[in-house]
Amino acid sequence: MNPQAIRVAFEGGGEGRGPLTWGQRAIWETVEATAPDDHYFNFGHVLAVPRAAWPLTPQSAAAAVSGLVERHPALRTTTPEGRGQVVHGRGELTAEIVTAEPGEGTKTATELLERLKRRRFDYAAEWPLRAGLVTSPSGVVTHLVLVYCHMAVDGLGAEIVLRDLRLLLIKGRVAGTLPATPLELALWQESEQGRRVAQAAEDYWEGEFLRVPASMFPAPAAEVEGPPIWRAVLTSHAAEAAARHAAARYSTSAGAVLLVGACAMTSALTGLSRCAMLPIVGNRFRADTRAAVTTLSQESLFTLDVTDGGRLTMAGLLTTAKPALLRAYRYGFHDPAGRAAATARASEARGEQVRPYCCFNDMRFADPPAELSDAAEVRDALTRSTLAWPLSQEQLNCRFCVHVSGEGGALALSLTADTRYVPKEAMERWLSGLEMFLMEAAFGDGSAVSALRRAG
Amino acid sequence: MNRSLNEHVAQLVSEASDGAVTPDEALSASVPLPALGVTSLAQMRLIDALEREYGVEVDLGTDVSHLESVAALAAFVESKR
Repeated sequence: MNPQAIRVAFEGGGEGRGPLTWGQRAIWETVEATAPDDHYFNFGHVLAVPRAAWPLTPQSAAAAVSGLVERHPALRTTTPEGRGQVVHGRGELTAEIVTAEPGEGTKTATELLERLKRRRFDYAAEWPLRAGLVTSPSGVVTHLVLVYCHMAVDGLGAEIVLRDLRLLLIKGRVAGTLPATPLELALWQESEQGRRVAQAAEDYWEGEFLRVPASMFPAPAAEVEGPPIWRAVLTSHAAEAAARHAAARYSTSAGAVLLVGACAMTSALTGLSRCAMLPIVGNRFRADTRAAVTTLSQESLFTLDVTDGGRLTMAGLLTTAKPALLRAYRYGFHDPAGRAAATARASEARGEQVRPYCCFNDMRFADPPAELSDAAEVRDALTRSTLAWPLSQEQLNCRFCVHVSGEGGALALSLTADTRYVPKEAMERWLSGLEMFLMEAAFGDGSAVSALRRAG
Repeated sequence: MNRSLNEHVAQLVSEASDGAVTPDEALSASVPLPALGVTSLAQMRLIDALEREYGVEVDLGTDVSHLESVAALAAFVESKR
């Protein structure tokens, strides 16, 4: 390896300063809770140079990155001390250039991505985008590497950035109107209309926090030796197919079936008939946020009543969940300060701190369209499901964290839990219960939700 | 029922679903819109569009059957205007 660098200068973009958006404030709160390990939130992409842009020189690659930063103010916005945002009209970042051995371009780019992700961002003094170039031994750029600060973009925002970078490489420009900028969004959120939206969300959080269990995992159940935090991952082809079948069967989305299933199984596990779960929602349903390059994802609150578990039907469960799901989507777009005030008022009224300690993050970008294999085929796939324990650590800011991701045609259902509250065998039961829930939702006769007995 | 309102609502359904459902399909559907491919994200986009265009507030109480067909959506908008 032979590290070199190229300057990426940009100018001509608008500048300004203002408050943080709700999404930025939400990320800032997690950054503060996680620092100095906040590099955990860094993420990025490797873009193989599209054939239409070949052969690409480092200078042309740098020009494309500079066009990208000029187009999207989020990529030239600093957030000193999390107190506000400063949009810079001009500046310069440095892109590292790494020469790959023949045939090693992708590997080298991935290594560069990991290296650029490893260091935490300086929110006041550093651009929220790190760029790198990988070249062939002859000096042609084969890959571009982008690493983002989560204060600047979320996963969907980064997808838009990547799409625009491809266009800049191929066509030298991006057509179309610019989406709302983070600063415009922050100013709208401070406006009368924005405050009305914030107030409605605050009322929702308070109302729900007055009626849900103060915590889904209130008391330690066991003493453990060694690190208390464990992650179990069930990788299941059957779950992936079953979630899609169930979504088609009940006219909903696979994401909704998974969230409802996770809540139902958590109710069964805890014996609490009402489940409160905090899903990460994208907040991209509004016309002004749909294509915005900023960080919009926020935690929301989804509550589900799983009363009368013995006689509950699958249709009943999934149908009653629909309005609750829409409310969770709507009020995920909220002012974190309003949520904090609502939490404080509800906690005071109840005489106990309300904190569900139960969260859900579906990290897939979209539900794939239904590709219907038959029930027997999906049942056969159950034998291919695997369970792994890839992580254990000392600390976690939560007690029960569900992550869903796609893994080569399978679903990776991940549960990271504090084993003082949820012993490892209960984690396994919960995961296999969720898989069974999905199979029942897809192929069961719908008369009962037997999977609930698996986790209970 | 106001024909042009129905047609406009059908157009909004189509836009909210990124064209997965055409206005004609939305208008003539004999099953609930979600069964046609109007996802929950599309439903939220549709709610946002109706609230912006008609100045109504879409209720998300325990019953959301008013979101399940063009006719029900149009009737809801009409009743709130």
